[in-house]
Amino acid sequence: MNTIELSNLKRIFRAHIGVFRRSIKEVVAVEDISFEVQTGELFGLLGPNGAGKTTTVKMLTTLLIPSAGSARVAGFDVVRQANQVRKRIGFIFGGERGLYWRLSGDDNLRYFASLYGVDPIVSKKRIPYLMELVGLKGRGNERVGGYSRGMKQRLHVARTLLHDPDILFLDEPTIGLDPVGAREFRTVILNLQSEKKTILLTTHYMFEADALSDRIAIINKGKVIALDTPAGLKKHVSDLSVVEVETYGVPETVLGSLRALPYVDSLSVEEHEQRQMLLLQTARGAEAVPEVMSVLQGTRVGRVVVREPTLEDAYVRLVGGQV
Amino acid sequence: MNYFNFFKYWRTVLIVAEMSIRTQLSDGFVLFAIVFQPMIIAILALFMLKDKGGDFAMFVVVGSGLTGLWSSLLFVSGSSISVERWTGTLESLVGVPTPFDVIVFGKNLANVFQSLLSMVFSYALAAWIFGYSLTLSQPVLFFVTLLLSMFAFICFGLTIAPVFVMYRSIQQWQNAMEFPVYILCGFLFPIALLPGWTTPISYLLPPYWAALALHGTSTARMPFQQTAFCWIMMILFSLIDLAIASQLFKFMLYKARVDATLDVE
Repeated sequence: MNTIELSNLKRIFRAHIGVFRRSIKEVVAVEDISFEVQTGELFGLLGPNGAGKTTTVKMLTTLLIPSAGSARVAGFDVVRQANQVRKRIGFIFGGERGLYWRLSGDDNLRYFASLYGVDPIVSKKRIPYLMELVGLKGRGNERVGGYSRGMKQRLHVARTLLHDPDILFLDEPTIGLDPVGAREFRTVILNLQSEKKTILLTTHYMFEADALSDRIAIINKGKVIALDTPAGLKKHVSDLSVVEVETYGVPETVLGSLRALPYVDSLSVEEHEQRQMLLLQTARGAEAVPEVMSVLQGTRVGRVVVREPTLEDAYVRLVGGQV
Repeated sequence: MNYFNFFKYWRTVLIVAEMSIRTQLSDGFVLFAIVFQPMIIAILALFMLKDKGGDFAMFVVVGSGLTGLWSSLLFVSGSSISVERWTGTLESLVGVPTPFDVIVFGKNLANVFQSLLSMVFSYALAAWIFGYSLTLSQPVLFFVTLLLSMFAFICFGLTIAPVFVMYRSIQQWQNAMEFPVYILCGFLFPIALLPGWTTPISYLLPPYWAALALHGTSTARMPFQQTAFCWIMMILFSLIDLAIASQLFKFMLYKARVDATLDVE
């Protein structure tokens, strides 16, 4: 049974530009997106910045009206039956905003419990339970302004669960969290998944999507370019190996030469201050290393590793040529 | 808005009001608008009316309280939606099942309730510092009027907030709207002192009827028929304001979801 259904969803933003000669600029954030999320499924939505992930989630959470197409959540239309949808969903948008910093954590939850129509007797028990669930036990009477970013994120989760919704929209929930905080957060998500909640998760972190999602849709430029299980997506790169080369100050011309090598399927560069990590996808595996090293002659090279492809490599291959 | 919402959501309205008060008590501007500014106005007026007697002092107390009510309504209630947008909480509020106008009603209730503090402070100032003997001439009618005035101010505030969000050019005139209402609504002196052509404008402003009845029942022993007429006018204006606000909120929320202006990011 499908809990979330999108059919040819489209969203155009119109912005006024210019001071004296005002004109309207149209930006297509979501071009044409269709997919279904089944009940109890954890569905990942991946894509580069500006791909349309947040816009899609905002349309599904009734905060934006689609320009075309339709979407149903829990069987209700997100435009015409917005209030029915709101009763059944919880949502988190990444970052620290969306909470009342001058109020305590407990007061924030009491406030939103009331707005979600939770009976005061129920919320009196549920708030301490949720604070414990998200690891904020004993911190509820402190002002949210004094919370760390991770604590605020966890309070967001507690807020989202106040009315015990069956459907959750988590838009980059671990963004900005330290590794320990992000790991704890993923444990919370896994616990929710075990409660058979339907979860739509957007994230930039591939390992997170890989570890958590039942299925993943990769979107780029407002369109779904791949939709499969994490294992299915990895098959897109099963014929490839990844050569990781650590370099220091590699020039653009050398990167161009590497890209021009006939057996290099794609090349991406991760910048780490003075260090760069080159990720070459190639069907030749270890055999490609000597020739790659000869191109890199004159460049300071550190560690070189040849490994099996991951979801991230599949993502790079799918999105890489289209960004 | 469905008017039955208020009966269905009374508990939510009270919690919204409580949380608004808790939030605003740490806001310096709000404290200035509802406590210090009315006190400054009261001190000035009490000096000007020195030795004129208790009735004048009571007029000043009620009048300065009304200035606090209006300033709070104009600045705090008027900006309540914009502030939520800037702090990133507007999406969280629009995304809940509680109708948004119910939430703003609760916020306005908090603002109006806080503003009454300015009346209490002015009373204390006149009684303890200036030594006036202050008594309400019709205490029961005064308190009924006060409750109706609070309701009328809250409803008037419901029409202002969405207008300020949708038409920012109007909000730019926010400061300029403060003192004309003090004057036209007879907060600090009777409108009979103003040119005759301004009187119809006063009649169209809901705070005028609140000021007339509050002054009348606190100092002037207003005939009951006249007080009742003011009550009817306040109720009438409140119903009109609610009807207008209902359409404004519907339009504002639809427009915000089309234009993607619920968030500033």
